[in-house]
Amino acid sequence: MHKSLKNIINIISILIGIWFISFNFNEWLCLTMQRHQLIQLPAMLLIGFMTGYTYRKNIKPDQTITICILILTIFSIIFWMIPRSIDLAVINEKFNRIMHFNMLIAGFFLYPVLSKTVPEIKIVFLGMMASMLMAGGITLKTYNLLLCSSFTIEQQKQTGLILILVGITLYFFTIFIFLRGLKPEELKEKVNLNDSIHTQ
Amino acid sequence: MFKKIFIPILTLSLCLLLLNFWTLGFSSFTVFSYTLKKAGVIPRPFPPIQLIDQDSNIFQIKDKKKYKLVNFVYLNCPFVCHKVNNQLEQIYHKLDNETVPSRLEFITVSFDQENDDLQRIIRYRKYFGDNISGWSFALPYHYDQKSFDAFLSKLGIWKYKIPSTGLINHSIYIFLIDTDNNIIKVFDPARDTNETIISEIKACIKV
Repeated sequence: MHKSLKNIINIISILIGIWFISFNFNEWLCLTMQRHQLIQLPAMLLIGFMTGYTYRKNIKPDQTITICILILTIFSIIFWMIPRSIDLAVINEKFNRIMHFNMLIAGFFLYPVLSKTVPEIKIVFLGMMASMLMAGGITLKTYNLLLCSSFTIEQQKQTGLILILVGITLYFFTIFIFLRGLKPEELKEKVNLNDSIHTQ
Repeated sequence: MFKKIFIPILTLSLCLLLLNFWTLGFSSFTVFSYTLKKAGVIPRPFPPIQLIDQDSNIFQIKDKKKYKLVNFVYLNCPFVCHKVNNQLEQIYHKLDNETVPSRLEFITVSFDQENDDLQRIIRYRKYFGDNISGWSFALPYHYDQKSFDAFLSKLGIWKYKIPSTGLINHSIYIFLIDTDNNIIKVFDPARDTNETIISEIKACIKV
């Protein structure tokens, strides 16, 4: 009873989230580049991620599928950062829905895949995401040309700056994951060292 | 083992293939460059259009049997269009009298049919001085918005009116058209310097 109630609440929360981001506030979120790129896109990814977290036990991908999903996730994010895709997502409603659905699906598989994969792949994935965000941010910030016809150059530069900051934060997070991954090995080494001292 | 390597490589290849298709061979990442590239490689014919200039002369671009430098603006533009026209003004004055107007004509076309009319373009032209013979400011003549938009996309110009602000974001390319009505060069004033544009014009006209 409890489990099914929890499931229903989860599904309702997810649907409400999708409705707010993709329908109710869609027009408002498409008004500026910051809202579109820094709120709407990550929000859909986050809703997908939370859905994936909820149903993580039902998804058990093997190593090959994991790598494929990570490739597709990176590709999806690259695709929706291309100025032409951004423009079409703002101008064309159908294209906008495709973007939301794509982000939702990408986020959905992200948690089960990342939680079950080896730290090396996690680090490579996060490192690539951080680099990608920084590169995208630098492009938007430094270009004095309007890249997206749906927005203004000021919005483009502000979005670029925030993307750089997000990329740097993610980069530090990657370093944290990397160091955390190293810790058990160091501990093991210390234990082995202590054991060898005691046996002597 | 084969499956383990093959499937991720296949996935990556499909992603790259789609990106390649989407950006016309990793060369057009914005709607501006995509529309221009999609319109076709140059040299290609300048699509037919009837215009009316500041002196109420009705003409077609192809009827002018000389080289033409054509750009598109709208007069309510807050910044970019005027910057491009200022750049064109500098180019105009740097070219010698033998080139403009006898061999080359400048044509600036407004694509804001809602707000720009003959009176406005006459007033606007005066900002560039009285002695600018060989530089026409024109409007599309008897075109509804839909057919004019079709002309623009055929030409390779992207135009989008932002609903919330009314601003028109558009391509700022400058087209050099030869005597046979072929587009032979496309300049991007945001990237090409005046010197580059002038030297390319001179090279084309001499040939």
